[in-house]
Amino acid sequence: MELIEEIRIKANRANVFAALNDVDILRRSIPGCEKLEAISPTEFTGIVVSKVGPMKARFAGNVTVSDLKPPESYTLVGAGKGGVAGFAKMRTMVTLIDEGDSTLMRYEVKADIGGKLAQLGGALITKTSKKLAGVFFQNFETIVNDEN
Amino acid sequence: MASKSHPVDESWMGSRMPRKEDLRLITGQGKYISDIVLPRMAHAVFVRSDYAHAKIISIDTSAAMALPGVISVTTGADIVDEMRPMPQPVLLPNLPAKYPTFYPLSVGKVKFHGAPVAIVVARDKYVAEDAAELVEVEYEELPAVLDPNAALEPGSTVVNEDHPDNEIFSMTFTGGETQAAQDANDKAVEEIFNSADVVIKETFRVHRTGITPMEPRGALCDWSESDGLTAWITTQRPHIDRLALVDLLEIPAERVRVIAPRDQGGAFGIKAPFYRENVIIAHMARKLGQPVRWIESRYESLMNVGQERDQFNTLEVAANKNGKLLALRNRGVADNGTGETGVYWGFVMPFLGAHEVPNTYTWEKADIKLRVAVTNKACLTPSRAFGHFPTRFAIERAIDIISHKIGMEPADVRRNNLVPELPYTSTTGAYYDSGDFIKVWDNLMSHIDLKKFRQEQREALANGRYIGVGFGTGVELSGMASEVLVPMENQPGYGAASIRLDPRGTVQIFGGDAPGGQGHETSVSQVVANAFGINPQDTLTTTGDTAMTPFGAGTIGARGASYFMSAVHNACLELKQKIVRILAHDLGIKAEFEEFDFINGEVIYRSDPSVKKTFREIVERIIMHPINMPEGEVGGLEATVFFEAAKPMICFNADMCVVEVNIDNGEFEISRWVSSEDVGNVINPLIVDGQMQGAIAQGLSNTIFEEFIYDEQGQQLTADLENYKIATAADMPNMEVTYSPTPCPHTPMGTRGIGEGRPSSVPGALCNAICDALQPFGIEITELPIRPNAIWKKIHEARS
Repeated sequence: MELIEEIRIKANRANVFAALNDVDILRRSIPGCEKLEAISPTEFTGIVVSKVGPMKARFAGNVTVSDLKPPESYTLVGAGKGGVAGFAKMRTMVTLIDEGDSTLMRYEVKADIGGKLAQLGGALITKTSKKLAGVFFQNFETIVNDEN
Repeated sequence: MASKSHPVDESWMGSRMPRKEDLRLITGQGKYISDIVLPRMAHAVFVRSDYAHAKIISIDTSAAMALPGVISVTTGADIVDEMRPMPQPVLLPNLPAKYPTFYPLSVGKVKFHGAPVAIVVARDKYVAEDAAELVEVEYEELPAVLDPNAALEPGSTVVNEDHPDNEIFSMTFTGGETQAAQDANDKAVEEIFNSADVVIKETFRVHRTGITPMEPRGALCDWSESDGLTAWITTQRPHIDRLALVDLLEIPAERVRVIAPRDQGGAFGIKAPFYRENVIIAHMARKLGQPVRWIESRYESLMNVGQERDQFNTLEVAANKNGKLLALRNRGVADNGTGETGVYWGFVMPFLGAHEVPNTYTWEKADIKLRVAVTNKACLTPSRAFGHFPTRFAIERAIDIISHKIGMEPADVRRNNLVPELPYTSTTGAYYDSGDFIKVWDNLMSHIDLKKFRQEQREALANGRYIGVGFGTGVELSGMASEVLVPMENQPGYGAASIRLDPRGTVQIFGGDAPGGQGHETSVSQVVANAFGINPQDTLTTTGDTAMTPFGAGTIGARGASYFMSAVHNACLELKQKIVRILAHDLGIKAEFEEFDFINGEVIYRSDPSVKKTFREIVERIIMHPINMPEGEVGGLEATVFFEAAKPMICFNADMCVVEVNIDNGEFEISRWVSSEDVGNVINPLIVDGQMQGAIAQGLSNTIFEEFIYDEQGQQLTADLENYKIATAADMPNMEVTYSPTPCPHTPMGTRGIGEGRPSSVPGALCNAICDALQPFGIEITELPIRPNAIWKKIHEARS
């Protein structure tokens, strides 16, 4: 699955970049996130409960941050296993464009999905991913603005 | 008089009698495998691979084992010392191939998405399903081999590591046995191509699709120390499955009984292989000392079976300018999947497909070669139109493409090149025993005024409407002679039947093949009723139980009306001869068998019809009162007869399709579907009609809708019926099935086995019609499935 989206966040770029690397803000923003811990400054591990179509699964996984270019861009590489529901691997490139009071965030996700999840059909997976991303950024924007 | 008051007043041969099976099936009284319940029965669920190709690093079963109600959790590593691996001799064809060695559960690595990794046995299915989710498997992903052409390249990742490469099978089908003879033949073919007026070359692609029966697979096994193994298995071939279980689990042969349930919700080939799941269920029943049952889910079924076709055929045809076909050359590449399926191994289907490339047409020479590649996909499993759905599509499309190139009517090119006289041996050595292709073709053409149609087509085109007509023909196996089946599957082809007459004048029939809904009980009852002059209702047929039935190779390859019914007929004949000998003795007359008629529940002396006895009286006398017998005769009326035809046999059909294509969106509508069939003498026309309609429907469904899809990681994306679309009744055209039969000289009743290969002329006929409609754009379809989007794209490309 590939997803390229843009979203405008009402916060300046430095704050957005900092928040994107803040474990606590991420944990509160990710829909269904039960646990998120930093193992190192560039490595997170966590558990997310997610519902895709008829399937609900707990994903245990880790995410590594690379290509860090504060406050412009970074790349996230992650993998998660959802037991019988299957597994997912993803690579996300995040770019932040400075627009003064707000920031245009552009993200490109490339995900490989396997197991029963994959069989739900691309349309459903993409739709769910977009929905989850929407919820994430809504939460994220609220938290970033509250904190600043 | 028969025991009941069923009327006996007509010849049952050719009677459109309603099927005996249907009353119980449509009133919910059918007894399928999941209706069979044994005391203390446990339930099995498989843990299956999420990956197409991956090393198994570890399997943690502790959480699953800890779940209350779980009896056992077993992995591949647990069983390698407890049974023999496959293959075993009964599961091996007599064909040189790189057969993979494998166990029922994956050992060391998984080879396709859906491969069995572990088996959970629990007190009920709910617990088993929950426990299966708790089995933690750690994998290390390996590169997935998914493209059959790339799989055959040197340096490709090898799927079956007990072999040096992925080429499981390759063969040259033409030219003779030796390399020198084949080379000489190839050269002769090349010479024809070099001097021919017209030559075409196209690669025809048929996707992965097949047959999805309503009832998936299942197995229920019971072990007893004294009597051994009893296994209920959804299968077309209980006697073959029995031998496989004997060899794999090393149980003395007399102590294994396999029962194919009398009611099976369709099979269509997918229940013909010997599957790894059956072995492990039997093994678990023995190991645990309690009955174990596995009922396959639709999800598992779509992941594991019913996947067939999947070939590339690069076909070249040479013809002269008058439309005489001269030579053909075909290079087939088939995507085998893993190859881990007993008896067929994936490649046996494309093997037959290549053998049948020449179809119903005469060729001076042919050069046909096939390569089959192992990939990280489910193993191909037999599906009605076994192996030759792709090659038939290729040849039937090629006939139209070359007709277009020459500028001749495709119907004329077909008729001019049909095998004019039978028997005939094809360039690949396929033997066509009898029939009249031209007669069947002319019958088809009598249902359309082609000249008038071409006029209408021109008028329609002038009005912006695109209509077209397409044709396809097919010569199909009518049963499998031992001569064919021994080399192909290492199994006998004869049909087998036991007939037991009852002192009450009724008849029990026992057949070793196991039907999956074809109506064997009905057809058998008509054959028996006709033979003895009784009512079909006064018979009962038992199939599929190896403890009660004679050895039969199974319900495959249109063996019903060719082999099984012939064995039934001959067994009846043997008993009738005995009845007449004893009756003539009792009546004190010296008369030959032919001088007596069995009609209306009586055995009548033709020269003096007042001299007669009721069927029941004479049968009861022979079975129950065997005194005052003719010299050398003893009592009892039971016979087991095996039937082998002198030659391999065929049936033949031709299809015609009329379509209208909407060039704005690529949608097409089939306005007419007409078929012409040589089915030999018919036992029950209702059943034959149903076979033909069902086969055409399956052919259309494969051609237009059904498609198994694997993504670039080898993830199978079509494991439910929303994503694997099967045609419904509303998708089907009206079918005008017509007959032009020639009795088969090699069966006692002149019958032919029908229905197995029948779908394969369908994709050609449909696509030929669509291309005929789109000739103003010069469109030639070479790839299936064919859907409006693909057609629209071709129109769009042609226009711009």
